[in-house]
Amino acid sequence: MSINPFYLVGEATTSFRRNWVMSLGAIITIFLSLLLMGVSLYGGAAINSLVEDIESRVSIQVFIADDASSQDIEVLQRQMQSNPLVRSVNFTSKEEAFEIFKRTMEQSPEVIESIQGNPLPASLDIELINAQDVEEVVEQIMASEAFERIADRPDDPSRSVRYGQETVRRLFAFTNALRAIGIVFVIMLAIVSLIFINNTIRLAIYARRNEIAIMRLVGASNWFIRAPFMLEGVIQALIGALLAIVALSALHVWGLPRIRQAVAFMTISVPNATMLGISLTLILGGIAIGIIGAVIAMRRYLKV
Amino acid sequence: MADINDFDLDFGAVTPNAPPSVPPGVSGAPHDPEMDEIARGYAELAAPVVEAPRVAGPKMISVRHLTKRYSSEKAALEDVSVDIDAGEFVFIVGHSGSGKSTFIRALLREVIPTSGQIVVAGHDLDKLRNSKIPYLRRNIGCVFQDFKLLPNKTAFENVAFALQVIGKSKHVINTQVPEVLRLVGLEEKINNYPSQLSGGEQQRVSIARAFVNRPPLLLCDEPTGNLDPQTSLGIMKLLDRINKTGTTILIATHDREMVNSMRRRVIALEGGHIARDQARGVYGYVD
Repeated sequence: MSINPFYLVGEATTSFRRNWVMSLGAIITIFLSLLLMGVSLYGGAAINSLVEDIESRVSIQVFIADDASSQDIEVLQRQMQSNPLVRSVNFTSKEEAFEIFKRTMEQSPEVIESIQGNPLPASLDIELINAQDVEEVVEQIMASEAFERIADRPDDPSRSVRYGQETVRRLFAFTNALRAIGIVFVIMLAIVSLIFINNTIRLAIYARRNEIAIMRLVGASNWFIRAPFMLEGVIQALIGALLAIVALSALHVWGLPRIRQAVAFMTISVPNATMLGISLTLILGGIAIGIIGAVIAMRRYLKV
Repeated sequence: MADINDFDLDFGAVTPNAPPSVPPGVSGAPHDPEMDEIARGYAELAAPVVEAPRVAGPKMISVRHLTKRYSSEKAALEDVSVDIDAGEFVFIVGHSGSGKSTFIRALLREVIPTSGQIVVAGHDLDKLRNSKIPYLRRNIGCVFQDFKLLPNKTAFENVAFALQVIGKSKHVINTQVPEVLRLVGLEEKINNYPSQLSGGEQQRVSIARAFVNRPPLLLCDEPTGNLDPQTSLGIMKLLDRINKTGTTILIATHDREMVNSMRRRVIALEGGHIARDQARGVYGYVD
């Protein structure tokens, strides 16, 4: 049996008007749940950009002995360049290293003056595509014969590779935990809003259980009974999602620049595309929650 | 089945060959002029002493070895077999817990039998898919003790609701609803809300709602349970008229006076079994 669309929209809007207090409650519930979810998604994206920024500073330095042959250096450089995990390899000569050192020590010229000659080694600076691969790449370097020949400290080659071993390990433990917490948070919020919305719809249905009982008795099909409630749930979810998106956009436009100013030493950025993605997620998620909530809440009243 | 226009709207002397008074021995009521009058009213509705030879019509309800257990120990209904022909008027009597309500709910497929077969209005309930249950229920009108009217809808809207939800057009609703409300004698109160109607009037609205779709079967679960004797008589007269259009009527009741006076077919349930099944039966219990 097809459902007259006029009946459907009429029923949904009438019930919306008659039970507007309950509808308002449902909308606010959905709005707050989705806003919390949106904020945590947004915060997740911001933290992610922060983590990526920190991780991108991880690089490997291979120190090269002064008497290393340029052939061997080139061999290692080419090996690294062809490594799929590596983004770029730069050669820093002894002189360049000393220049960089002098620039960083600009404020204490007495240190520079006290240095005789150039004690700094040349180095290969290796940047990675994914900072988490650092240990693997270091192992590959250590296994290379060319590296053994050019290493600054032939007695203990591992001391010729610097990548902030311990620091990197701790950093990754921290960033991974941060990501995991973010995911768990979003999942928990999704469950909470599903329960909230399910409860609100259940109340609305409970208030109309006599109507539903009579509809079943006179032979209305289950879809006929269900559809107005589902449409109502979707309308409420849509309004709630739009409100959440408006609030989140305010955070994006006004809040984020202020936070960025407050922590200028770190790069926090959430691109507009991510913001759009979150908005879409909220709308689709809201509609899904509205429909699923209505169907679950109605199940016991439609039991045959 | 009969159309609304076939109704004999003048229903005085419905059963000309009815016995003039209550059969002795079955009415234990003390002498009370008002009760006598009501008893005479019911007696007018009594089945003819000599049944007109009935053409064995198609069966409306056919129940075979129906058993229903809610929990494991005691069955609410056990091995119940009964046939009800189209156009019959049947009382189901029995104490609370005898299985009357379970029987009626099984016919509506609100409860699913533990075992046994039920065929109602041509639907084999065992083979009926869940999605087809609404179509079964469109063939069965239901009347309850507590009326089950929607308080925020007028009499008209309550009856119209039954047609709306099965997808009938506005035109059909606007012609059929006033007609059926006239049939139950409520043409004056078409726009009253249930709270503005008496108990008897509310039950008439509920009967109108059950009958507006012209179902071949009307199930009534203690339709007069909340009504005084005078009003109950009016309701029974209405149900008798509806029966005369060919609608099969099944009434579960506790009203001894009504059953004893009307002398219709009586099916008595006791502890989930059929204790009696009599044409022109009596209530037969001392409460």
